[in-house]
Amino acid sequence: MQYEMVAGFETHVELATNTKIFCSCTTQFGADSNTHCCPICIGLPGVLPKLNRQAVRYAIMAGLATNCHIANISKMDRKNYCYPDLPKAYQISQYDKPLCENGYIQLSNGRKIRLNRIHIEEDAGKLIHKRGDTYVDYNRGGVPLIEIVSEPDIRSVEEAKEYVEKLQQIMRYIGVSDCRMQEGSMRCDVNVSVRPVGSTELGTRTEIKNMNSITFIGRAMEYEFARQVDLIESGGEVEQQTLRYNDAENTTSPMRGKEDANDYRYFRDPDLVTISVTDEEIEELKAKIPELPFEKVERYVNELGLSEKDAANIAKYRNIAEFFEAASEGVKNPKSVSNFIIGQIFRRLETEEDKENFDIKTTPEQLCELVKLIEAGKIKNNLAKSTLEKMLDTGKPVTEFVSESDMAGLDENALAELCKKAVESNPKAVEDFKKGKQKAVKSLVGFVMKESRGKADAAAAEKIIIEIIGG
Amino acid sequence: MVTREDVINIARLSKLYIAEEDLDEMTKAMADIVKFADTINNASEDGVEFDNINNLSNAFREDEVVPSYDRDEILSNANDTDEGHFLVRKRV
Repeated sequence: MQYEMVAGFETHVELATNTKIFCSCTTQFGADSNTHCCPICIGLPGVLPKLNRQAVRYAIMAGLATNCHIANISKMDRKNYCYPDLPKAYQISQYDKPLCENGYIQLSNGRKIRLNRIHIEEDAGKLIHKRGDTYVDYNRGGVPLIEIVSEPDIRSVEEAKEYVEKLQQIMRYIGVSDCRMQEGSMRCDVNVSVRPVGSTELGTRTEIKNMNSITFIGRAMEYEFARQVDLIESGGEVEQQTLRYNDAENTTSPMRGKEDANDYRYFRDPDLVTISVTDEEIEELKAKIPELPFEKVERYVNELGLSEKDAANIAKYRNIAEFFEAASEGVKNPKSVSNFIIGQIFRRLETEEDKENFDIKTTPEQLCELVKLIEAGKIKNNLAKSTLEKMLDTGKPVTEFVSESDMAGLDENALAELCKKAVESNPKAVEDFKKGKQKAVKSLVGFVMKESRGKADAAAAEKIIIEIIGG
Repeated sequence: MVTREDVINIARLSKLYIAEEDLDEMTKAMADIVKFADTINNASEDGVEFDNINNLSNAFREDEVVPSYDRDEILSNANDTDEGHFLVRKRV
């Protein structure tokens, strides 16, 4: 029998606020343990939590960017459970009145992954298990989170990866989170079940907790899919449970018996008053949401003539998209701008983080100037490429490296002269070419380019050289 | 209805130990408490905005950092600490 995967995501995203959700301690990452704490975030009795206005704003923006309905009235609830990462023995979260509801993320195959809700809550502390004891650091305790809950609409690992990437891109674009999975500022719980292809019923699901890498999410889902199919095929039944993914072995193993919503004994937090958001405030926040990556891709393809792939590569990072747009200002063919970015500039940005930061010396205006000189026929492509390297190394404008006389190019006589010289000085290459080795002509062209310090038109030079040899 | 099993479950969730011989009394006490709380269901809901009885809303804080407490002070009430951490005995 053929089976299909059914998956849903609960994604926790740390908000980029300066302070925690209920107190004024900093949210900065990487400090010494328990140095970003106060009586509120270590849960001492008698303290009064006070909601961070910016956390609410960010959550609403996240909702707006994912097509959610924003609730005018919302509230905070206590979710009770006993575990050392939670000093109050309850987490302040939202239960039946979340801030955002009924959104969706559209995938490239056209399918919509529905979002059930986005709510705000506090992060828990960090536990380190060593020497048989548990060491607790509450720096992360009380950092504002949004939890984005999808419906079980995902049908494959590819869809899952795209879903997570899209969320990540959107949240970064609107500036509500840096979504660094390796630092834990974005974490996913994945619900997986299987069912015979064609069936519309949902199978029993398992939940794989706390995944912090897109690669691992893919592997864990594949493993879990195969495990469940095997179980059913061999006459067994999938048991509803919470699993941990073990990346070293690429397996999943049970964590703890999942508590029911009932067991959390949710009730309204009496310390925190109602959150009321007016339509005007929602409109105000809507105005702050920039053009989103998928909207940019569409515009780049339809209006600027980029390929789908290049457009996606540029639009993926907000800094790069903004650089590209500024550098394309007044340019006839923005595709040459994107070629320089993807071809040459990307080579200098090794990691995702490098691309995210896009810390390069050249300004968009400088690249724009270079491309305009090419379009005006003043600089040949080869010279432009080597010049861009120098510009990127130094941050200086094109005019520092290319003089007026360089821009004038070579006249026909000079070019013919150089081609002749190339043929005379490289008998071996000429011979190779005559024997049918087409590539040999490239080294002759290279000679011309070198002699002319990049001023020559490579295509014209090749034509002339072939004529000389042939004649 | 509150059953003995409910009381056992709630005690488990709260990491409380209740002796077998106290269970009946606890169950009865719990039932009385729930019954008392149920009184609220008799209240009229007309004109009440879900559960916002005091009509307060939006007590917000601005997102400005205030220095945190000294770590020694933060850890001063802990039963046990090590290397700047709260120390919790391994849970079985």
